[in-house]
Amino acid sequence: MAAVTGTSVRPTAPPGLIGTRVNRVEDARLLAGRGRYVADVTLPRIKHAAFVRAWPSHARILSIDTTRARTLPGVVAALTAADLPPATLVDGNWIPGLAKTPQPVLARDKVRFVGEAVAIVVATSRYVAEDAAELVEVDYEQLPAVDHAGRRPSGHVPILDELPDDLIYDRGESFGNPDLMFRDAPHVFVKDLALARSMAAPLECRGTVASYDPAAGSLDVWCSTQSPHLLRRRLSAASGVAEHRVRVMMHDVGGGFGQKIAAHPEELAIALASCALGIPVKWIEDRRENLMAAPHARGQRVHLKLATDDDGRFLALRARIVGDAGAYSFNAASALIEPYITARVMTGVYRIDHYGYHVAAGLTNKSPVAPYRGVGFIAAQTARELLIDEAARSLGIDRFELRRRNMIRPDDFPYRSCTGLVFDSGSYLEALTTVERMSAYDDFRCEQEQARASGRFIGLGISPYVEPTGWGTEAMNQIGWHSFPSNDSARVSMDISGKVTISIGTPSQGQGIETTLAQISAEVLGIPLDDVVVSFTDSSSAPTSLAGTRASRAAVVSGGAVGLASQDLRERILKVAGALMETDASILTVADGVITDPSEDAASMTVAEVVQKAFQLTEIRSAEPEPNFTATRFYDPGATYGNACVGAVVEVDPQTGGVRVLRIVGAEDCGTVINQVVVEGQFIGGMAQGLGGALLERLAYDENGEILTTTFMDYLLPTSTEVPHFEVEHLESPSPYTWRGIKGVGESGTIGAPAAIAAAIADALAHTGSTVDRLPMLPEDVRAMVEQGEDRG
Amino acid sequence: MTVQPDEVVVTVTVNGETVRHLVDPRTTAADFLRDGLELTGTHLGCEHGVCGACTVLLDGRSVRSCILYAPQLDGCEVTTVEGLSPVPGELHPIQEAFRECHGLQCGFCTPGFLLTVHEFLSETKGADEDEIREAISGNLCRCTGYQGIVAAVQRADETWQR
Repeated sequence: MAAVTGTSVRPTAPPGLIGTRVNRVEDARLLAGRGRYVADVTLPRIKHAAFVRAWPSHARILSIDTTRARTLPGVVAALTAADLPPATLVDGNWIPGLAKTPQPVLARDKVRFVGEAVAIVVATSRYVAEDAAELVEVDYEQLPAVDHAGRRPSGHVPILDELPDDLIYDRGESFGNPDLMFRDAPHVFVKDLALARSMAAPLECRGTVASYDPAAGSLDVWCSTQSPHLLRRRLSAASGVAEHRVRVMMHDVGGGFGQKIAAHPEELAIALASCALGIPVKWIEDRRENLMAAPHARGQRVHLKLATDDDGRFLALRARIVGDAGAYSFNAASALIEPYITARVMTGVYRIDHYGYHVAAGLTNKSPVAPYRGVGFIAAQTARELLIDEAARSLGIDRFELRRRNMIRPDDFPYRSCTGLVFDSGSYLEALTTVERMSAYDDFRCEQEQARASGRFIGLGISPYVEPTGWGTEAMNQIGWHSFPSNDSARVSMDISGKVTISIGTPSQGQGIETTLAQISAEVLGIPLDDVVVSFTDSSSAPTSLAGTRASRAAVVSGGAVGLASQDLRERILKVAGALMETDASILTVADGVITDPSEDAASMTVAEVVQKAFQLTEIRSAEPEPNFTATRFYDPGATYGNACVGAVVEVDPQTGGVRVLRIVGAEDCGTVINQVVVEGQFIGGMAQGLGGALLERLAYDENGEILTTTFMDYLLPTSTEVPHFEVEHLESPSPYTWRGIKGVGESGTIGAPAAIAAAIADALAHTGSTVDRLPMLPEDVRAMVEQGEDRG
Repeated sequence: MTVQPDEVVVTVTVNGETVRHLVDPRTTAADFLRDGLELTGTHLGCEHGVCGACTVLLDGRSVRSCILYAPQLDGCEVTTVEGLSPVPGELHPIQEAFRECHGLQCGFCTPGFLLTVHEFLSETKGADEDEIREAISGNLCRCTGYQGIVAAVQRADETWQR
């Protein structure tokens, strides 16, 4: 296997736990089969729920009859919206011009997508609950389905009465003077790209256990979620149980990738069922439900225009973007999460001073769209990079060279893009050059010609990019995106034995947060890694994180908060140590759990001895204004942007339309690296998901809004045989605006890989004159490119 | 043990321990292991036999416990992830290799991979990367991109004395 090598564009921090490759601390329990996922939670008297879900995509509910279901032995209750307090979910986005689309927790008068929850059956087992769900009789009056954003079927009935044209947003903005630049431009290139619906598809589906105690008036909820505090707010609002009496607890989560950010209607419905029945209720989603009714993602059409001069300098860019919202603008972030983010990051790593966009988003009778790793960025990245390649071909300029001519340069930092993003630091040119070297570009060109001569079609695609990470308040202001507040704290607590427990509201869904945060705290405190644990998140004790784990932000935001709290704690420990050792605390050093006074023949005490004395001796305690060893710190980072470049080599079979990915190489830069093991895992895993989005994953609906992809035999995730060995190199440009220069990397690979693969297909078939105009590129789409080429002769 | 007309007796040896249970015959093997025997290390990712998260060994062969019924286990020997390591608190060399090579992230698919790999390495030595990718191609992982898993199989091939 190829060795992973590292380079650095800036001097790295002195050796310590931050930046060290350590194996993950969470792995032992997961490997032993002792992970604790929500499906593993059980309670006395617990009952099991199944949802009755809509089969029509758009219909009025005329009646619901639960009589037969309720009489089945083992059934505890069959509940409809009429049996529960009215509760709705609304997105929290406050972008002007965005219409609100309140979503009932259970459908009340209408169903708006196949799979929408209509009723809940609670029974002694999931088996009985599913039997009974089939006995619930729902009488529907079917309505024509809106299957395409902005398209009205004959006999059109609006999805929401308040929105006669189904449009939830329709606005644009202009920067510089694109009209003038396009009018006078020597060359204008045009690109259309359709991005199909796909989804996060975490291996663990959604799930909730809710237990309402009528005596205490408290609601305990275990949930597979990325945002426990957000969920607590929504549960409180829906149930009427005061927020301090709602407790959201979570252990291991089997992947999220954005799908588990939202408070889901089903989660609230289960809590309301528990409140209504006074017993614990458990719902574990199955895959059919997840593919049909869990939020989808992507679903965009992008029309892009690029003006250049004769040397290929980018003069101006224009974008028109239409987003397919699904049946509601979902509470995770609103339907603008895809098209609006696409519009705002469209100029990428290039110097483009004149840019205009128009964004429209329309409701359709499909499952709502929510964030999924790389949200919005992927459409921008893929459309723009394909267009640049087409311009390069037309202008007769090499693709690397054309990008180099237009790229933001090292001495441009901090660089303010025309849309207002302030790129803090990065290695854009170096990442591009690294991928040029890794892909052996010159050799590849010869190989490609030889292959073509023997009837084989191989192609190379390149995809350099920059992405907002961390998503503090400043980043959101720059992007103009306001769907969640950046309000995160972390608590670092040392007990009497000198060991540390970290508590956070940004839980892990597999990213290795338990390890990386422990590394940060252990390094700052000067104690062994094994002396730090990160506890599972319990909203009743964890410091607030209003947003939770999302948007490549946990390492930056919680990492910073843990770092700052650990610094506070270190100062407090050293102050007590100074008193005990009768020396000036400022000269003490601490390493490996031992505090040393360099002036006194290296006199020393262990951290544990110091805190034990401080806990127990009143004379030490009384000297301290706040004699405890717990520190909580808030952190809202400055805006920071990670960057990377991905290169892909593919072989296209013109007969079958099959695409085989031969190589993927990547150079990534996420600033200060906490743990390379974790960074590579995020980057490589992200690229594999991007490969799925480029070649395999498509959620298909027919014209009636019926979903056709409800199993893993129809919705194809990449397996080990579609995914190549990834070759990765690291660059390191620490951010000047975040604690220790950390940037996020959670989404990176997913953003870059689709454009590289799409461009590689286009390159392999460049001789046909056909272009890539959609993702994913399924075999029939590749065949269509070949056939179009043959038709052109 | 009184057997009701709608129940059947299943006698099965799981991780070396023989148990006798009454089950509703439509209970899947996976639900029987998880709910009946409280072995929650076996996970359900699709419940239609594609993702492989529920893989266990049945008389030494890997099977998908989500598309088997509990009565089909009668008289058989089953190994779940909980039975991989002979000593509690210690990891089997395959598990250790997954930890060393970052062969897991969220851990949900991991038990299925471990048992698939156990069967593969029980029968094979010195497999190359293509053979390893083929061997694990029936298990889905959404986090790792498979790279760490492939490396872990290569490592375990060397470290597991068998």
